[in-house]
Amino acid sequence: MDKLYGYVGKIARINLTDSTVAFISTSDYVPKYIGGRSICNKIFWDEVKPGTKAFDPENKIIYMTGPTTATGIPTGGRTVFTSIAPNSFPEQYAWSGIGGWFGAEVKFAGFDGFILEGKAPEPTYLYIEDGEIKFLSARNLWGKLVHDTQRKLEEIHGKDVKSIVIGPAGENLMRNASVTTSNDNVAAKAGLGAVFGSKNLKAITVRGAGVVVPADIKKVLELRLKMSHPAMIPRPVINETEHGLPGATTIVEGGWQRAQVACSHGCNQHCMCLMLDMKSAFSEEKVNHVEKCVSPLAFNMTIDVPYGGPGGPGGTFQTEQNHYPACKMLSREVDPPDTSDPYFEQEFAPAPSDILNYWKHDFDKGSIINDLCNEYGIDKWDVIIWLLPWLAMGKNEGVFDDIDFGMEIDVESEKFIRYLLDMIVYRKGYYGNLLAEGMARAIRTLGKEKFGNTIYHGRYSRILDKQIDIPISLEGAWGHTVHWQGRGFQGSIAKPAWVATNLHQMNATRDSQTIQHHHDTFEHYLELKDDPCRSPLTAKAVVMGENMAEIKDSVTCCDWQSPNLFWPEMEAEMFSAATGIPMTKEELLNVGERSRLLYRAIMINHSGRNRQMEVNEIFAIMQYPDPWGETVTWDEWNDLVDLYYAERGWDKETGWPAREVYERLGLDEIADELAESGKCR
Amino acid sequence: MEDNEKNQRSFGRHIVQTSSDISFCAGCNACGIVCSLVHDGVVGPSYNRIFMEKGTQSMVTVIHTCQQCADHPCYEACARKDQAMCLDENGTVFINDDFCIGCKRCIKACVFDPPRINYVKSTDKTKRKAKKCDLCHTRLEGPACVQYCQVSCLKLS
Repeated sequence: MDKLYGYVGKIARINLTDSTVAFISTSDYVPKYIGGRSICNKIFWDEVKPGTKAFDPENKIIYMTGPTTATGIPTGGRTVFTSIAPNSFPEQYAWSGIGGWFGAEVKFAGFDGFILEGKAPEPTYLYIEDGEIKFLSARNLWGKLVHDTQRKLEEIHGKDVKSIVIGPAGENLMRNASVTTSNDNVAAKAGLGAVFGSKNLKAITVRGAGVVVPADIKKVLELRLKMSHPAMIPRPVINETEHGLPGATTIVEGGWQRAQVACSHGCNQHCMCLMLDMKSAFSEEKVNHVEKCVSPLAFNMTIDVPYGGPGGPGGTFQTEQNHYPACKMLSREVDPPDTSDPYFEQEFAPAPSDILNYWKHDFDKGSIINDLCNEYGIDKWDVIIWLLPWLAMGKNEGVFDDIDFGMEIDVESEKFIRYLLDMIVYRKGYYGNLLAEGMARAIRTLGKEKFGNTIYHGRYSRILDKQIDIPISLEGAWGHTVHWQGRGFQGSIAKPAWVATNLHQMNATRDSQTIQHHHDTFEHYLELKDDPCRSPLTAKAVVMGENMAEIKDSVTCCDWQSPNLFWPEMEAEMFSAATGIPMTKEELLNVGERSRLLYRAIMINHSGRNRQMEVNEIFAIMQYPDPWGETVTWDEWNDLVDLYYAERGWDKETGWPAREVYERLGLDEIADELAESGKCR
Repeated sequence: MEDNEKNQRSFGRHIVQTSSDISFCAGCNACGIVCSLVHDGVVGPSYNRIFMEKGTQSMVTVIHTCQQCADHPCYEACARKDQAMCLDENGTVFINDDFCIGCKRCIKACVFDPPRINYVKSTDKTKRKAKKCDLCHTRLEGPACVQYCQVSCLKLS
C-alpha cells in the first residue's frame, strides 16, 4: 500500500536463541489490524502453538506501538506487550500496556514493534539504534535493581537512550514481575517481566534519530488542545501536610512535596503524582517516585478507597454534565460537580466505604513498599492489594500460627516488609520460593480452604452498621485479585457496577481493570439498577467496554482518558489524524471487535476456554457480601452470562463465537481453523 | 570560567522554563513535539529546537532553550550569513533552510552545552541542516511551545 502515515513501516523479528533479526512489513497487517494489541493478537494466533507455556523458549513476547505513538497525538505514547502470561492461573495469553518514553523511541529507531522469540544462551540485552539491533552481554547488568540498570545503560550508551528493563524479580521468574521504564511505567499485570527473565533478556535499550509523520498536523494540534480540555494552568510543586484518600488521610509530620508529571511521550495530561524526596529502600539518599493509583494504599489501609467522588454511582454511570476523565481525578483537577444535573443527587449520593483495618498509617513504610516494588520490578497491585492484606487478615485470624517465615509476620513493620519481599524476590527458603509463584499458586499449595477461604472478622460495613464476611484471600479470577468488584477492597461500589466488572474479569485472562474500568451512562443505570443481572444494558455496556479496551490498546490511547462516552468519535479522530485513513467510530468499533474476537479465539484454542470454566471461575468471590450485603445467585449470574453471550453472538452452551460472527469481521480463516478441532460450529 | 562568561552575556527575548515553585515541568515533551510539527511537519528528536534533560530516577526535567544571545555568535559564524542564518527586526536569529549547507559552524559557535542548535541526521549527507529556535517568529499565535505547554511552565523572557 501507499505510505503508512503514523507508522514507520517495520516490525522486527528478534530471535534470541541464535541472535538473528528479520523484518516484517507493518502493512502486512494494517489496516485490518491497526495495533497495538490488534496486531499482537494476529501475530500470536499465527505464530504460537497451543500448549506453549510461559517460560518455554517457544513462547513469544510481542510488543507493538500504535499508529498514534510519537505522532504528537495525546496519550499515543502508550504501547502494548502480549505473551503467554506466567501470572495468570492457569497460564494463559494476556496483555499489558506500558507508558513512558520507550515506545516513541522505538519508532524513532525505525520500528513499529518487535517479536521476541527463543531464549538467549546467556544474560543479554538488546541495543537498538536507527534500524540496527545488537545482542549484547548483560552479565554485568544481571542482578541489578531497576534504576541501577537504567543508569548503567545510560552510562554505556548515553543519556538520551530509552530503556525497558527487568529487576531481580524478573530474573528469578517471580510470576508477577514487571518490565519497567526509567520513569516507573510498568508492564506488570501479566507478569511479563518473568518471561523476559526466562529468555535471559535483561533489557532493551533504544535510540532513534528518525521521524514519525502524522497525516493531519492541523488535526493533531487540535486534538492536543481539545482532548480532556487540558487545564492550561501553572502547576507548582506543592507542599502537602497530609496523605491518603479522602476520608482516610493522616497528618504527615514535616509534610511532603508533590509534583505532577506526564507518564508517556506527548501526553496532554500530568496525572501522575511525583512524590519528591521520599525514603529509599536501598540508599541513604531520598528518592522520587510516582504514586500510582494503588500506591496511596501502601501508606494506609484502615479504610476502603472512596468510590465515585463522594461515593455514589456517578463513578461508573455518568451524565453529560458530570463526567471527567480519571486523569483529572489523579491530578486533583476535577471541576466542582454541576448541581444543575437532574440526576445530581442520585449520582453523588454518599455511600460510606468499609472499615478494613489492614494496616495503620506509616508514611515511611509506605514509601519503602513502593520503592521496593519499583526497584525489584514487581506488580504493586499484587503486593498491596493481595499479599499484604492476606497476611494482615490471616494473622488476625490465626491462620499463620503454625508457619515460620523466619520472622514474625507483621505488615505494620517496615523491617518485616523488607524481609518479606527480599525473601520472595530472591526465592529464599521454602516460603520465598512458594510466594514467588504468585498468590493463587501459593495459596493452593498451602491449602485453599484454610489459607484462602478463612473468614476475616475485621471488615465493618458502615452502611449496614455491622461486620460482614470476607475471605482472607481477595482472589477474583484467573489468578488475580479483585479490582472494583465490590468486596474486600475498592469502596462501596454498588451491584450494578460490580456485576459488570466481574463479567469483564470473567472474560479476561488477567486483571481486566486498568484497561477497561467499566463505563456506562446514568440513563442506562436508571433502567438497569434494580435488576442488573437481567438487563441487556449491562451486557451491552460490558461488550462496549471490552471492544473499547482493544481500541485503546491498538490506536493507542490511555485508559485514564478513554473511552469518553460523550465524545465517542475521539479514538477514530485520533486514528485518522495519525494515518490519514478515514475511520468512523462504527468502523473502529469493528476493528476493536475483530481484535477481541481474535483474543477469544486464542483463549479457546490455547486454553480450552468455555462457559463452564468462566462462570465457575468468577462466581465464588461474588458469594461474599458487598457493603450493602448484596451477592448474586447462581441463576442471576447465569442469566447475565446468557445476555452477554447473546450480545456477542456466542453460543450459550459453550461460550464459543458462532461462525457468522467470525465471517462478519473477516476472520473466516480463524473460524476454519477452530472448526477443524470442533471449536467453531 | 565558562559559567562566568555565560552569566555576563546579554540575551534577547527567549523561551524560559519557570522555577518549579511557579510551575513544575510535567516532562511530557509537548514543547519539542509541537516545535517540530509546526516547523517541519514531523515528530522526531533530531528535529527538536528545544531540548529536554530528564533525570532517570528523579523524573525532574530541565528544559534547555536558545537564549537568543545579543551578540549572536551562531549568526556571526554562519558561512552563509544573512542567507542561511538571519536576523529579524527583533534580533531573533532564525535559519532559512534553503540556504543552510550543514557546515555546523553555528553549532560549534554556540556557547551553551549542550548546543541549542540541532543538526538533522540523515542518510543523505547533502541534506543535513541546522535547526534552531526562531521563536516561531512568523507564527501569529507566537511560540508554539509556550502555547501548547499544558502546565504553563514555559514563557517568553
